[in-house]
Amino acid sequence: MSQFIKYLFSILLLVIGLLYLCDIIYTQTYTNSNPRNKLQYILNTEDEIFDVVFLGSSRVANHIDIKLFDSLSHKKNINLGVEGAGLNDNLLQLKLLLDKNYVSHVFLQIDFNFERTSPSNISISEAMPFLRNKILKNHLKNNFINFKKLEYLPFYRYAINDPKIGLREFFFSLFNKKPKINPSIGFSPKLGNILPLKGQNLSETIKQNNSVINEIIEICKKNKTTLTLYTSPFCSKTKNINYINKLKIKIPSLIDLSKGYSDELFFNCGHLNNEGAKIFTTDLYNATKNKLN
Amino acid sequence: MLFNSIDFAIFLPVVFILYWSLVNKKLKYQNFLVVLVSYLFYGWWDWRFLILIIFSTFLDYFIGRQLKKENAKYKRKFLLWMSIIVNLGFLGFFKYYNFFLDNFITAFSFFGTTINASSLNIILPVGISFYTFQTLSYTIDVYKQKIEPTKDFIAFSAFVCFFPQLVAGPIERATNLLPQFTKKRVFNNQKAIDGLHLILWGLFKKIVIADSCAVYANEIFSKYDSMNSLSLALGAIYFSFQIYGDFSGYSDIAIGTSKLFGIDLMRNFKFPYFSRDIAEFWRNWHISLSTWFRDYLYIPLGGSRGGIKMKIRNTFTIFLVSGFWHGANWTFIFWGFLNALYFLPLLITNKNRNFLDTVAKGRVLPKLKEFLFMLTTFSLTAIAWVFFRADSISIAVNYLKKLFSFNFTNGVQYLSIERYAPELMILIIIFIIVEWNSREKEHPLFGKWIYLKIVFTLLGLITLGVYSNVNDFIYFQF
Repeated sequence: MSQFIKYLFSILLLVIGLLYLCDIIYTQTYTNSNPRNKLQYILNTEDEIFDVVFLGSSRVANHIDIKLFDSLSHKKNINLGVEGAGLNDNLLQLKLLLDKNYVSHVFLQIDFNFERTSPSNISISEAMPFLRNKILKNHLKNNFINFKKLEYLPFYRYAINDPKIGLREFFFSLFNKKPKINPSIGFSPKLGNILPLKGQNLSETIKQNNSVINEIIEICKKNKTTLTLYTSPFCSKTKNINYINKLKIKIPSLIDLSKGYSDELFFNCGHLNNEGAKIFTTDLYNATKNKLN
Repeated sequence: MLFNSIDFAIFLPVVFILYWSLVNKKLKYQNFLVVLVSYLFYGWWDWRFLILIIFSTFLDYFIGRQLKKENAKYKRKFLLWMSIIVNLGFLGFFKYYNFFLDNFITAFSFFGTTINASSLNIILPVGISFYTFQTLSYTIDVYKQKIEPTKDFIAFSAFVCFFPQLVAGPIERATNLLPQFTKKRVFNNQKAIDGLHLILWGLFKKIVIADSCAVYANEIFSKYDSMNSLSLALGAIYFSFQIYGDFSGYSDIAIGTSKLFGIDLMRNFKFPYFSRDIAEFWRNWHISLSTWFRDYLYIPLGGSRGGIKMKIRNTFTIFLVSGFWHGANWTFIFWGFLNALYFLPLLITNKNRNFLDTVAKGRVLPKLKEFLFMLTTFSLTAIAWVFFRADSISIAVNYLKKLFSFNFTNGVQYLSIERYAPELMILIIIFIIVEWNSREKEHPLFGKWIYLKIVFTLLGLITLGVYSNVNDFIYFQF
């Protein structure tokens, strides 16, 4: 029996040792490799001056043609839209960005994301290798009930986020594989369209208030960063599009570009295709150029 | 309680310590603890259904005792049928009531009669198909005087509810398991270590192979109407490995856990995807169920003793019943029927016992002929699994129609999941190589380089396991 207990403990020790070893190797790789996503890119920036930073979800990443915006505005701009990100994720991006850099203007995309204040697992999973970062830690600890586990259980943070930061992404980072989207530009156009478009449902009711937006407004004020809130286009089949009118009542300064775009310009109901993105980028520039100059 | 849960990770060591330190002095105490923790294990899921297990235990225990006392044939038969009807009655009610009702209504509506009967919201008690067959095997064996009925009620209860195999098998025979509960277990170091290795390997099969394949198989099956032929072929292959990893992984963990308590359960899988024909496949897949049907249905029906017509009738009967055992859906019945069709040529030509040995025994590689046989058998099995996995027969037929339309445009289509198909294919190939190399043993964690093999298994579990999306074992639903 004692022989078996010894063997069992040696296996347990081996498991714990391997968990720590894997955690260390993964963390070292992610923290020292070339940025493969926008969060890593932000964490690697220091003493940079950005004229315009675009924040939001895939409705920013796919919609803002940054090179076109550069040529129109003659400024240094960056698209930091992340697929699946919510306002809480954008708040974290902003905090990290303003910690070591200067941003004169932030464009934040607002739509049905107004309904949520919690972080999205999709974009936050990319933050897991950097839990030792103070800003990140302070931001996340209030949002995750399992934060202690994430912080102290070896490899737990990588295991539960295996689709995003699992073995595959680890190897890509280890060998510095170039990402599909250059994070320093950030525009990822959608090509073609999936017709017929399936309508997207917006909420029938609107949330009273969104504390995350209030926090973003506060941070921008504190850092003397101009904040522009806008809404990207939806296709004609969108249900409850009246939601955007309700949003405008809540946020009077909101630049509403949600309507008036032909369905041909959409990849799917919530996302413009490449051609649509170019038209929208120009429209957004025209709608805000007075603020930019 | 799931084997791949934190609850079980705490439960198992606690029970292990209690078993070997507190109650190891007396057989009665050992068995009593087994019963107690098995009820806890089962009740963790839903304590209300413990009543069913306890009732079945009482019933079959007393019927067994009565069978011993009775000499009159008709009384013995009556007792046997009482056990069969009550046990299958529970199974029929909980598992098949709504199925029969729906089909009854559909059949009558076909003739223009409308029946107003509402289906019941019945929860299927987990493992009912498994423990029902296990207790039935006891009563049938006692009736046939293959075994002596036990006087020890606690030992009998332990035989019915032994937690490692209670909810998803292997379906044990009283002849194998019950005698082990009538002798005091003595700790065997080698057996326990082997059990531990088997648990590790079972976890690897479940968490790494089955759950990884499940991510893709679920995605492909749910969007099959927009997928090309190559994607659909991959969907069928992924599901084949998902169900194998899931179920054989569960069996390995169950057998391994039993070994920790000094109990040997029967083997449930013998590398079935290395089978050279469908008969060999069924000798190596879910062995405890196949042999159950052979012993308690096929042979009583006459087995192979009659002419070819009788053989065919009996073969179709056991495959159809086996399909129906899996679930109350026509898809399972058709899956059974398809396997019977596959089996038919072998039966008619008397070649169903051609391959009784291990494939390529003593050789590193199979011969080309063997390889082609294995490939054909696997392909046929994968096609049949489409029916098993699909929600309805029409979906399965459409899936296969699209698969065999040989439309390869767009190559492997994009799946809206973060993981990436090529890595999974590499993983499956490595898994096949590992299983191939250990096909003459029970599992790969043995012999030379054992410590290195364990390190790699653990590394695989840590880095390749799917922890973001924990899946139940498929066979829990049966």
